[in-house]
Amino acid sequence: MIYLDERIVTGIYGLDNLLGGGFRKNTINIINGGIGVGKTTFGLQYLLYGLNRGEKGLFVSFEMTEKQILRDCKQLGFDEIEDHIKKGNLKIIHLFGEDLIFPSLDFIEMIRESLSEDEHHRILIDPFTHYSMFLNEEKRKSLSTIFQNLREHSTTVITLEEVKVKEPNNGLVTPLYLADTVLHLHYLGFGEFFDRTIRVVKHRGSKHGDGLYPYKIESGLGIVVIASEHDIEKVTPTKEFDKQFKLAIERSKHMDKIGKILAKRFELLRNNWSHKESPEHILKMILDSENK
Amino acid sequence: MHIKKLEDTLDDLYETDGIEACILYRIDGIPIAVRASNDSSILNIMFWLEKQISHVLRNMNKEVLTATTFEFKNNQVIITPSSRSTVLVTIIDPEAHQQLISIEIARAKSLINQCVS
Repeated sequence: MIYLDERIVTGIYGLDNLLGGGFRKNTINIINGGIGVGKTTFGLQYLLYGLNRGEKGLFVSFEMTEKQILRDCKQLGFDEIEDHIKKGNLKIIHLFGEDLIFPSLDFIEMIRESLSEDEHHRILIDPFTHYSMFLNEEKRKSLSTIFQNLREHSTTVITLEEVKVKEPNNGLVTPLYLADTVLHLHYLGFGEFFDRTIRVVKHRGSKHGDGLYPYKIESGLGIVVIASEHDIEKVTPTKEFDKQFKLAIERSKHMDKIGKILAKRFELLRNNWSHKESPEHILKMILDSENK
Repeated sequence: MHIKKLEDTLDDLYETDGIEACILYRIDGIPIAVRASNDSSILNIMFWLEKQISHVLRNMNKEVLTATTFEFKNNQVIITPSSRSTVLVTIIDPEAHQQLISIEIARAKSLINQCVS
């Protein structure tokens, strides 16, 4: 069963406020960015947040071996990962991207075998870059099937290295449009506050921050996103205009067929309204145009 | 906190008479913080700016310029690099008090530099 409105806390300090509470459950979330921006750190933090709270995790590594993962985790201060592996809460599959040029459904079978039945998992696939390159139409369809299968079992974080496309038709494609959420990490290299920044490019079906937020990678913590109160306010729903919404909902109820649908939509809008401006003008415009 | 100070600096600058918008961009043209009205002429300038910032900065760097001004039909746009990775853009009413505005921009630029460097 897929529950689209449940949230999975990302484990990245400061990020969930900008994502309306976290990733939506049973979704594919792509972390995109250049070399050294912290994509793997992001993924490890995501896994560990759940593991430390009794959840199950799977790490499909297309680059690092289990030994390398353990070493890097220890350097970051994420020592507890070793315990999670020993207890069987975290499984690691190490593959070579070159061996899996065609995204075969065996990949899904391999993942399915590693998961325990009827339990939600946090999955990290890092990096998916090689696997998602050189895809023609048929293979992309297969990738879409893989994503759909992953959604059934888990909330997945996939890291992708940013690929600069020189010629649009040479087959180098990053399938960002197939994901539910896309976060872009960027490293400028000037040694200033906005050197490392994160942007929410896409967060399907959810309110999210639309700014450029600086982040730091701190030992023992991992990624820490620094958003101002003003940034958070912009995505936090306000109850300030409840009166206007209630009035509009009441008015819509007196309309014929469309009234019920409109009232439901107004209710949703009311629960998500985070603007400082009053919705009065918009509500009036909608009621007028729906009443025609 | 840096980010709070940065926000306050932009808020103060935006409150100056004659300033219609102030935007802090990263040097690749991505806006970091915006203080602007929803006026369509300001939005059009912002679209233009996003495409021009890196190009203008490259030329400013080549010519060793500290600020560049662009004249639009109803607005003036002042581009001032505020640190190695940021640039402050101020959109003003051309009839505003230029001297006062240039002092406010210089003050904001210095504060931004302290925050981000």
